[in-house]
Amino acid sequence: MNTRSLFPERGPAFWGTGFTALIASGTIFILFVSLVIESVPVFKTQGVSFLWGTDWFAGEAYGALPMIFGSLMVTAIAVVLVFPFALGSAILTSEFLNGRLRLMVKAAMELLAGVPGIIYGLMGIALLTIWVRDVFGLIDGNTLFTAGLLLAVMVLPTVMTLSEDALRAVPGEFRDTALSLGLTRMEMVLKVVVPQALPGLAGAVFLGLGRAMGETIAVMLVIGGIDRIPQPWFNLFASGQSIPSKIGREAAEALGFDLQWSALIALGLVLFVMVMALSLAGNLLLRRAR
Amino acid sequence: MPGRFSKKLILGMALILLGVGISIQIWPGGGFHVLAQDSAVIRVAGSTTVLPIVSRAAERFQADHPAIKITVNAGGSGVGVHGAGTRRLDIGLASREITPKENDRYASLHTTVIGRDAVACVVSSEIFRSGVHALSRKQIGDIYLGKITNWRQVGGPDRQIIVIDKETHRGTRHVFMRYLFGKSNARAPGARLVTGSNNEEQAKIAQSDAAIGLLSIAWINDDVVGIGIREGRRVIKPTLENVRSGRFPIARNLNLVTAGEPNDVVGRFVDYMLSPKGQELVQASGYIPIHSPQAVSKVAGSHSK
Repeated sequence: MNTRSLFPERGPAFWGTGFTALIASGTIFILFVSLVIESVPVFKTQGVSFLWGTDWFAGEAYGALPMIFGSLMVTAIAVVLVFPFALGSAILTSEFLNGRLRLMVKAAMELLAGVPGIIYGLMGIALLTIWVRDVFGLIDGNTLFTAGLLLAVMVLPTVMTLSEDALRAVPGEFRDTALSLGLTRMEMVLKVVVPQALPGLAGAVFLGLGRAMGETIAVMLVIGGIDRIPQPWFNLFASGQSIPSKIGREAAEALGFDLQWSALIALGLVLFVMVMALSLAGNLLLRRAR
Repeated sequence: MPGRFSKKLILGMALILLGVGISIQIWPGGGFHVLAQDSAVIRVAGSTTVLPIVSRAAERFQADHPAIKITVNAGGSGVGVHGAGTRRLDIGLASREITPKENDRYASLHTTVIGRDAVACVVSSEIFRSGVHALSRKQIGDIYLGKITNWRQVGGPDRQIIVIDKETHRGTRHVFMRYLFGKSNARAPGARLVTGSNNEEQAKIAQSDAAIGLLSIAWINDDVVGIGIREGRRVIKPTLENVRSGRFPIARNLNLVTAGEPNDVVGRFVDYMLSPKGQELVQASGYIPIHSPQAVSKVAGSHSK
């Protein structure tokens, strides 16, 4: 192929914008490549057992499984808790509210989405851990469940507004046809609009999960910080550790050298891949919805 | 249209390039030091035990020397030692000794002792009130190993023990584990929670009604009570008196770590810490000054609420 047909315009505007675009899109590659390079030493010494080792003790052993498990667990808890509320409020705003009221609810949600993680973290450590302890009669409230609950609150606005967009994207004819066939409003929503919007709703959840998985400070303050898989593994009310929380706690000490640093970078790589997969899935599903 | 457009663009690009150029210029010179030629910056970080002393001292020192700026951050003793070793910090704070491994890695590390402190075993106030006023070394060890799991086993209420450990690089943990198990990086399989700074540890113990933890004595207060160490029939309470006399077994030095002998502005700040004014701040922070002609009768607890 002739390069001229690829880049028809080659004035200063082309070179200028091309340069900025290269920097912008190159960042992700540089990031990924440096994560891979920096994590080589730990994979060299530990092999892939890094991924399923259960013991992490700086200077002795680096096993990532408790952190991977913790990240998946809190994210799963968050999605189970957030989905009913996000879907419910999305259906309300999309199908039953109109005009100003709808915009007000959306605006409130979008404001909520911008609240910094540390604010949630402070609320979490001051209130949520105590509530969880007292409501469930636990001996201590710093648990995987607490972290999942906090994340659910944090990603609610993201999941809700994206779900609402997905529902709105279902063409009006579907609604009109359903109603003219004699379906009630409720049946119309549940049997026609929601199934039509399903890929978009799934996309919304995936993108929310991506945010939940990467959240650091709020989780760090309430998860308990112990690198251990609960016994039995489905015990939600035990303490645990997530990948970002682990990195947050150890990075400053390990900065720049040693196997510990490499192990932390490798943890980051695992997180990076997991979050990328989630956002990719979410974006694909959202695109299919449109 | 394209002509006018591209002129603005070129201006924009030029500005971006200028920005990139300037940052590259600054890079090899070591950050923004290049820009701050006549006003010196002292970068300090590390142990949250030493931190309260140094941040007070930094405030006073800066007031006396407006041209010198001091930044003080937390992070833990490990962060302090490595920061000083890699020269990311001018002064690292450490509430433990430098390990042989660290000495191998950074040949030139130099420590200046500015005060003495002790690590106390602390419990939630409910536990203290229920009658657990002292534990032996063996009992505390067994709690951290997970062999003792209920307060009933050591004379307290029938309640599971919430064992709070600290991040492995924290100086307080090094000192405490060395006392319990003879090994500063011993593991604690009985732990339920892991915390970082003294503040975080203090908050988590205060929130609980069944917790045990390890804390610098200056952080002891009404909610987080330091218990005595039982040795045979004797009970040694974690008081400054007992630390000074050497009776309390878990004592330690508070260190400023520098790469080589401190000199220039860093040296002046270290000298200030050792001067009567600096030593007064050590005492005011709840620790024991090392140059202290007068007897100090104050009990622990100056970071209490």
